[in-house]
Amino acid sequence: MTRLATVPETDQSLRAAIPPTSGTEDLSAPLYVAWQITNECNLACLHCIEESGPGKAFRDELDETQVFAVLDQLMDHEVPYLSFSGGEPMLHPLFFKMVEHVCTRGAQLKIETNGHYLTVENCERMKALGVKAVQVSLDGASSQTFNRMRVRGNFDVTVDGLHNLRDAGVPVEINFSPARFNAHEIGAVVDLAYELGAFSFYTGRTMFTGNAVKAWRHLELSNDRYDAFFDILRAKAVEYRGRMRVYFHEAGLLEELRYRLQHPAALLIVLPNGLVKIINALPFVCGDLRCQSLEEIWANFQRAWKDPRVAKFVEDLASDPSKTKTLHEWVYL
Amino acid sequence: MRLTKFVKFREEKFGGVLFETRSEKVFTLNPTATAVVREVQAGGDEREIIMRLQDRFHAPDGAIEREVLALMADLRQKGLLED
Repeated sequence: MTRLATVPETDQSLRAAIPPTSGTEDLSAPLYVAWQITNECNLACLHCIEESGPGKAFRDELDETQVFAVLDQLMDHEVPYLSFSGGEPMLHPLFFKMVEHVCTRGAQLKIETNGHYLTVENCERMKALGVKAVQVSLDGASSQTFNRMRVRGNFDVTVDGLHNLRDAGVPVEINFSPARFNAHEIGAVVDLAYELGAFSFYTGRTMFTGNAVKAWRHLELSNDRYDAFFDILRAKAVEYRGRMRVYFHEAGLLEELRYRLQHPAALLIVLPNGLVKIINALPFVCGDLRCQSLEEIWANFQRAWKDPRVAKFVEDLASDPSKTKTLHEWVYL
Repeated sequence: MRLTKFVKFREEKFGGVLFETRSEKVFTLNPTATAVVREVQAGGDEREIIMRLQDRFHAPDGAIEREVLALMADLRQKGLLED
C-alpha cells in the first residue's frame, strides 16, 4: 500500500489560485481556449477589436476537417473550458455542430455573441446541448446608444434575444464597452442586465485598436469620466452582491499586460484561421493549429511570454499607447 | 456527493486543478487533495470515499478521515462540492 504522503493543512492542499511559484508551465495544457471561430459578422461595431463585419471572414478560415481536428485536440488534452466568439460566432455554418461536439465531449462552453440570432429555437437548442453560458454585448440601455455603437445592430432584437435565453434557462452574462456617448448609462445597463436575468456583468476600458482607431473621437473617455464610470460600478457591485456579479477592470491595458508578463493566464487565443495568439491585446503568435500540435504550441506559449520582444512591446506602450493599433500585424515567435 | 455543475477537474503532474468556470477561478490541488477529488469523481458518499482512501493509504489513526472531512468542508465552502 502507498502511504498517504502528508497530512496537509487545508490551505496547503487547496489553494485559491495558481500560486506565483506554480505558473502555467506546470500545467499540461491550457485551461481555457478562447476561439474566434469566424471574423464574419452581421454588425460593424465602432469599437470592434477584430475589425469584424459583413464580408470580413478571413479567406483562410478553418474548414470542417480542420475545425474538428482542432476540437478533438483540445478535448483529448482535457481543456476544460472554451469560448466561441468572432465576429459573430452564430454565423459560422458549423456553429451548432461545433457546440454539440464540445458539450458532448464534456468541456464547458461559453458563447460570446451580439445577440441578434438568439431566436427561441436557437436558445432552446443551446440549452439542450448544455451550453454553460451565453455572453451578450449590450452597449447601452437604450436604442439610441446601443445602435450607435453597434452599427447595423438593433437594441430591441438583442433584448428579445436575452429574454429568449432567460426563458430557455440558459445562463446569461452581459458585456458592456464604454464610449463617450454611452458611459452615462452604465448604471441603467447594470440594472437592465439584472432584469434580463444575467448572473454576471463585465466591463472595462475600451481599447484603442481595430475599428476604434478610426472612431476614437466618438469613443474616447476622459480620466474624469472613467473615474465616475467606475464609481458607479463600485456602487452597483455592492448593490447586486449575492444576486449578480459585477466585474470591471479598472486597470488600464499597460498595467494588465505588465502583470501578464509575470503571470501569464493559462489561456490561448485561437484566430479563425487556426493561428494562436498569446493574448488578445498583443500581436504575438505562438503557433498554428493547422500544422502544429497543441502540445507544441503550449510549450511555445511558455517560451513566447519570456521572449524579450514581448516585454519590449509592452514597455513601448508606456511611451506610445497607440501601438495597440498594430495588434493585427502579427509577429510570429 | 459530486463536484458542482460548473467545476471541472484535471489531473496534473503536480496534482490537479479545479476550474470553477462561472467565476473563472482556478484552484490547484496537491497530490493528496487530488486523490480525494478523484474519489469524489468515482462516486459515493463521504463515508464510502473515506473508506476507499483508508484502503489505499496508511496514516495514523483517524488522520485520513480528518483530512478528507476538512478538505471536503473547504470545497463545499468554496462552492466546488455539493451533496
